[in-house]
Parts: sequence; structure tokens; C-alpha cells
Amino acid sequence: MFQRLDTFKVRERFERRGRLLLFLIGCGFLLLVGRMIWIQLIEGKRYYRLSESSRLRLIPLSPPRGFILDRNGERLAGDEASFSLSVVPSNIEDVDQLLDSLGKFLRIDKEAAKRKIQQAPNPFMPLPLKKNVDMATITFLLEREEEFPGTIITVHPVRSYPHRTVASHVIGYVGEVSRKELSSMGSFSDVEAGDLIGKTGIEKVYNEYLQGKKGGRQVEVDAYGRPLRTISEKTPLLGSNVYLTIDLRMQKIAEEELGKRRGVVLIGDPHTGEILAMVSHPNFDPNLFARGIPEKKWLLLKEDPQNPLQNRAVRGEYAPASTFKIIVAAAALENKVIDEDDTFLCMGRYPVGNRIFRCWKEEGHGHLNIEEAIVHSCDVFFYQLGLKIGVDKIIQFARYFGLGEPTGIDLPSEKDGLLPTPLWKKTAKGEAWYPGDTANLSIGQGYILVTPLQMLNVINAIANGGELFRPHLVKRIVDSKGRTVKEFSPKRLKRVPLSHSTLKLLRKSLRGVVREGTGWRARNKVVEISGKTGTVELPGEERPHNWFIGYAPSDDPSLSIVVLVEHREEDISIAAEIAGKILSQVFSEKVKS
Amino acid sequence: MQTVSNHGKMDWPIFLSVLALAIGSLFHLYTVSFPEQGYYFFRQMIWIAIGMGFLFLFFLFKVSFWEKISYFLYGVIFILLVVVLFKGEGVHAHRWLRIGKISFQPSEFAKLALIFVLAKVLAKEEEVGWRKVIISLCFTFPFLILVAVEPDLGSALLFLPLWLGMLILAGISWKRFFLIVAAGLALFPFSFFTLRPYQKMRILTFLNPARDPLGSGWSVLQSKIALGSGGLMGKGFKGAVHTQLRFLSRPFTDFIFASVGEEWGFIGVVIVLGLYFIIISRTVKISLENGRSFAGLLSGGMAILVFSQVFVNVGMTAGIMPVTGMPLPLISYGGSSTIMFLSGMGILLSLKRRPWRLS
Repeated sequence: MFQRLDTFKVRERFERRGRLLLFLIGCGFLLLVGRMIWIQLIEGKRYYRLSESSRLRLIPLSPPRGFILDRNGERLAGDEASFSLSVVPSNIEDVDQLLDSLGKFLRIDKEAAKRKIQQAPNPFMPLPLKKNVDMATITFLLEREEEFPGTIITVHPVRSYPHRTVASHVIGYVGEVSRKELSSMGSFSDVEAGDLIGKTGIEKVYNEYLQGKKGGRQVEVDAYGRPLRTISEKTPLLGSNVYLTIDLRMQKIAEEELGKRRGVVLIGDPHTGEILAMVSHPNFDPNLFARGIPEKKWLLLKEDPQNPLQNRAVRGEYAPASTFKIIVAAAALENKVIDEDDTFLCMGRYPVGNRIFRCWKEEGHGHLNIEEAIVHSCDVFFYQLGLKIGVDKIIQFARYFGLGEPTGIDLPSEKDGLLPTPLWKKTAKGEAWYPGDTANLSIGQGYILVTPLQMLNVINAIANGGELFRPHLVKRIVDSKGRTVKEFSPKRLKRVPLSHSTLKLLRKSLRGVVREGTGWRARNKVVEISGKTGTVELPGEERPHNWFIGYAPSDDPSLSIVVLVEHREEDISIAAEIAGKILSQVFSEKVKS
Repeated sequence: MQTVSNHGKMDWPIFLSVLALAIGSLFHLYTVSFPEQGYYFFRQMIWIAIGMGFLFLFFLFKVSFWEKISYFLYGVIFILLVVVLFKGEGVHAHRWLRIGKISFQPSEFAKLALIFVLAKVLAKEEEVGWRKVIISLCFTFPFLILVAVEPDLGSALLFLPLWLGMLILAGISWKRFFLIVAAGLALFPFSFFTLRPYQKMRILTFLNPARDPLGSGWSVLQSKIALGSGGLMGKGFKGAVHTQLRFLSRPFTDFIFASVGEEWGFIGVVIVLGLYFIIISRTVKISLENGRSFAGLLSGGMAILVFSQVFVNVGMTAGIMPVTGMPLPLISYGGSSTIMFLSGMGILLSLKRRPWRLS
């Protein structure tokens, strides 16, 4: 197996190796001693001075955050210069006196400031005392620098959102990093207490790209805290720029048309899953957060019952109402429960179990086939159809369309919605599933919940021939030198099993909805729209929600749209009207450009 | 058949150097920690007392005992290293294991256990072939991985010079040795790219602390200031102002050498390094006396271990090695590392007490 070497040779080699080891160890020690000579004897005086005066400072150099831009390069978020007054605790001679004299022309909470100074973790690090100080005060301070030992003025970037509330839910905002966020980031991250990070929206999801990498300068300072010389420096790495799929023009049109109503507008590209506009109203001004929002204002926003901070497009859950009939119809046709010529009779009401279910049209629709039922959104037709298909197959098709799970869009905390099943009802409510539940489900009412973004996916699939894409908001990320860091191509999730004939029939029906049915208010002179309306009946006196989901142009769809109006004030299909107004403007602009 | 001389004797240079380091380090800890942080001083006194107990106990053991239980010991430590990952304590990492009232770091004892098995494996046959390389690697690698995921990358990477050093000592051919190094270098980028981004960051910062001047870069600068301000003679008894003003992070553990330099100056530093050199060079000598055997490789491994720790720790304090949590044997505050070091010295000294026969 192995070679037996002669003992003498082995021993000799071992001794050679041992001596080699000793030699290397000796070299190591010489290296250490040499280094000590350098530090302690040659450089010793300098280090002694540094340690004695203890006037060594670390000035962090924060790079400006990257821009957020729309798909055409219009700036949605960027940094502006802002001045702050900082103090270096170790250089303050008399805290009370300093705060008193500063207090004469600056509003400072003296007690809080004093505590902050006394508890500073590193007395040689500049501690921000007052942010966003105006130019006049800064000039005044700079002229009298020596009267305020321990203070320094730092310039730092502050986030600014030039279009204010526009697309605020998409863009998000930045804020000071919280203790919780800090600990979850781990020690490798160079984010420190006091730093700004993205708190929500794109600012949060792409924070890593936007924030760049911090640099720092270690300086020796004189008794007044003025830098004498730089000991070492690391230049910061600028943040990357994020180009959104959002088209600012469309976004603005959509926001304008939704107006003061509460609700959502989504415009998407059905062939890529790109989002061109995402409106959630009421909204907020992210500039408030960037400059440090006062606690009172923050609470007001946070506890506003209208919930302006919530992005309803991904976090609002609503019953889909009649827009769900598209899915029920698809399930029926694909499962061959009926064909396009079969009819059901609508007398305005229909008994299920011991309950009477009504159609929205009291006098009834008479005999209709599936196309007519979609066009006129006949409820009685769909009660009968749904009961014939059965809950399982309806839910199965809803899943094919991506309902009941997050779409995976690049925004934080997206909701799932809810697809009710007999098993779900048993566990959640402790009740059996009744035929009445199936009837309710067939017209998109009852327990089912969807987000507006999920419905955009549904209508996209009809528009593009059955493809389900992951919706996304970012087109590409470009670093400060102009190199593309990341490019986002359409991500196809799955194919909804829809035959050619089913698609054709559904599209024909959706075209009919706008041409002669419930969605006629979307009609306009510029572009032909196909779509489906929905009205969410709510218990009691509450005003119903109103949906419109659709696409345009009908023949060769290039844009899809979802409009949801919460508790509509008007007694009409206002969502369809808004969709029509938005798309007609968008397409007339498109024609122009 | 050959008998080693000196048998029945104590290696006084080693023993006295250890004693001097123990007393000196306690005295130093007293000057920098008392009275505000006297806790550290009293605790370390207890650790040293316990460690000395182990030193005398193991001095009486026969080396054949360690050879017999080396696999068993390896197994026990292996289990502890696994357990510490799930049950371990620590702020950001799982390094500490608590049994009753005592908590300790299994990774410290893993260093000794690895030396035992490597010495046993490599001493068996006289030629270090590929089979031996693989077997010894199979012992080293699990420890490296287990300690690395704690995460304690510094201690984990210490196993590499230990393994390579013992291969050299055992007489691996240079051809094979450089093939291993080449393979390692070739595999490094590969394994690097399979890591997650945050792990990459950690390794990059580990390799080049200047990437992170606000964190470890700050510590290094402060430690250099403390060291350098000591000058030739130091600031004297209780004079480590820079240390006491809390400029130094971890002043009693990882960066304690900086305060040694600040208080006792270049002279103190040279004395401490000199004592380490005496211990390490005498350890190599014991290794040579024992020849290529379990005892010889064991003592050789011990020399490599102590040297690596001293070099990495002092090097880090002086800004020529990356910042890692590597204790300075016997001087850094800490029970596990102190007891491990003194136990190892006891075993080492026992090698001289009894003659070891080469068969």
C-alpha cells in the first residue's frame, strides 16, 4: 500500500521541516517587531499627539441617492443640497452656554439636544443638531464660527420629489432608518443610525441600488474643530438611477381623471406586464417625509381613516363583482358546460335554496346567450351558469388567472386577496358551503376578494391571448457612470388555458359591453375600448364600489386599464366613464407624439 | 530505537514564560480595567487559576492517552460545534454554548482537537500521500465550515494554516503541497461566487478592511494610535488614557495588545513578543526532539497554532492583518481561550516529562 521510507531519511526530513517552520516563525516575529518599531518609535510622536489632543474625527461622506425617473427620463425623485448644523461633543466647552446662544436664532429643543449630546456614542463624531437650516442662518453661523466652538456645518443631500403627490405610492419615500430596520440589516451593511433609507415603494424595494455606498474622511482637527489635514479618505460610491415603467404623462392624466374620488387607476402594457400608471387616491406628499416629518403630522396621516398611506392598487382588497363574470364565463366555456348558443332565462330573480337571488335589472333580461349575458351583465344568467359549473371549477379558473396570490410586483407588502372554497369556509367560518355561496361567487360577490393589480393581470390575459405576466414597475437600473446595471425583461408566469374560440367569444363580448352594454360610458371618439364593469354591493347604507377593467384598442390591444372607485358618489358607471376619458386622452397624445 | 534525552524534566523556559505571561497579563488587565471594570480582572484571575490547574493535571498525563482519545475528542467537539449553531448564545453569532452556569466557546477547543487528530492521522504512515491529504482534509473541513457559519470566519480560517503547516511538518512533498495550494486558489473564486451577496461582502471586508473605514477601519486607526502613542517607554502604570477613554473597541479581548503597547511602550511589546517567541521556539524544539511521531506532530501543531494566533492578533492591532475576532493567547480576556491555551501548554510540557519512543 504505502512506501516505507528509511527511518534516517524520515528523521532528517522532519528536522529540516521543523527548522523551516522555526525560520518562518522567526520571520513572522521580526515582521511584527519591525511594524512596532515603525508605529511606536518612528511614527510614535504623531500618534501621541493624536491621542493627546484626541481631535481626530471621522466625517462620513454620504453619496447622493440615485434618481427615480419615469420611462422617458422625467425625474420623479432626486437629491437636493441641504445644510445642517452639527456639533462635535468633545469640542464643546460649555453645553448650556452653546445651546443658549444657538437658541437665540435657531429653534432647538434644549433639553432634548443636551441629552443627545451627552449620550453621543462617539464624542468625536459630528452629531446633527438641526437639519435643513436656511441659507441666511448658515451664513450668519459661518461668519461667527469661532463664537460657537464645537459646531460645524455640513452639507448633505435631501430627497426631493418634484411632482409632489404624483405617483407617491409607487415612488414611496425615505426616512431615518429605525432601530428595527438597522438590526435586520446585519453588521455588513453600511447603514448607520440617522441614515435615510427607503421606507416604502420603489425607494424601499430598490434601496440597495439607490443608496450607493458611503465613504468617509478621517481628519485631524484643531481646537475649534476645523479640519487640519485628512488622514485617510474613501470616496463614496454614487447611487444608481432607477428608470420606472411609469409614464408620467399617463400617470398625470389618470390622477386628474380620478380626481378627488377614492380609488385606483392602473394602466398596463398587456404584452409585457409593465405598469404605465398606478394611481391610488387619497395619496400623500413624500417631501414631507424626506425632511423629517413632525410627529403630529405623521400620526395624522397614519391614523387618517381614509388611509392615504396605503397603496390601494396592491393592498386594497375588494370583491371583483361583475368583472369576475369573465372568469366564470371562461370556466364554463373551457369546461364545455355550455356553448355559445345555449341560453338561460332571466326573470329578474332566481331562487337558490330557500333564498331569492335578484338580477340588477328588476324586470329581467329574458332569454340570453353567454355573450349577451356578459354584455348586459345579467346576474340571473350567471347564478344558473355558476351553479352548473360548480364552485371548484370556478375557483380553479380564478387561480389560473392568478387570483388568490400576490402578483409578485416589485412593491412591498402586496396582499393576496381571497379565493373562498368550501374547505376555506369550513375552517374560517365553521360553516358548510351552500349553493347560495356559489351563486354569489358567480357574480363576484360574497367572500371573494381581489386587488386591483390582480384584476389588471386578468384583463391583460384576455388582451394578450392568455399570457400571465408578473407586473413590474422598473424598466432598468443605470449606475452613475451610465452603465446599465440591471435590465428588467417581461417575466411570463404561466399560460391561462384558454382556447382560441373562448378568447374570441370573450373579446367579442367585452367589445359589446362598451358598444351597447353596461360599459357604454367608456365610449369615446378616439379609441375603441373593450372591457367589463362591476358594481360591488356593500351592506347597509354604504355606497357601492365601482369597477371597470378593459383594454384598448379593441382589435389590437396595446394598453389595459383598471379603474376602481370606492363608494362612488354618482349613480352611474363612473369607473367606465373615467377609463374612457383617460384612454381617449392617452391615445390622442399617442397619436400626436 | 532511540530515546529522547532530557526525560523526566520540566521545560523551564516554556513554563516560566507561560507563568510570566499569565502574571503579567493579569497585572496589565488590572491596570486597564480597575476599578470601574474590575469584573474583568477577577474573572480572568479565575480563568487563569483554572487553566493552571489543567496545566498541572495534563502535565501528569501520558501522551499515549491523548493519542488514544483523539478521535473521540474530535467527535465530541464536532457535536458541540453542531449544537452551538442551534443552541448557541451570542449577539450576532452563535459562538457560545451554555452548560449549567458555565458558557464556553467550542471553537476554541476545536483547535486542540484538530491538532490531535491531524497528529494521529499524519503520524501513522511515514509517507504523506494523497490518501493522507484527503483524510486530513476531511477532518479539517467540517470544523472550518462549522465555525465559519457561527459565523467566526477568523477562527475558521485559522484551521487552514494549521492543516497546511502540519502537512509540511509531516513531510509532504513540495510538489504535492503546491498542487494543494494551487487547487485551493483555483477553487477559491468558484466557492466565492456560490456565496450569497452579504457573505461576499463579509469576506471582502475581511480581506480588505479599508472597504469599511467607518467600522473596522476606525478600530484599526484607534488601535494604531493607542499603540503608537506608547512610544518607547509607554505611558506607564494606569497610563493607557486612550484605552481607558473607550476609544478602543473590545479593549480587553481582541484589541488588548494595543493597550499593552500604550502603557508599556515598545519595551513592553518586545518583552511580550519575546516571551511568545520563547514558548513557540521551544515548542518547535520539543517537536524536533520527539521526531516524526504523534508527539512530535502534536507539539509542532501547537507551535503553528500559537504562532498563528499571536501573528494574526498583533498584526491586526498593528494594522497589517484584517480585523477578525482572534484572541491573543493568555493575554486577551476570555475563559475558553485562556483555558485552552494553558491546557495545551500542560500537554506540551508532559511530552518532555516522559520519553517518547520512536518505533
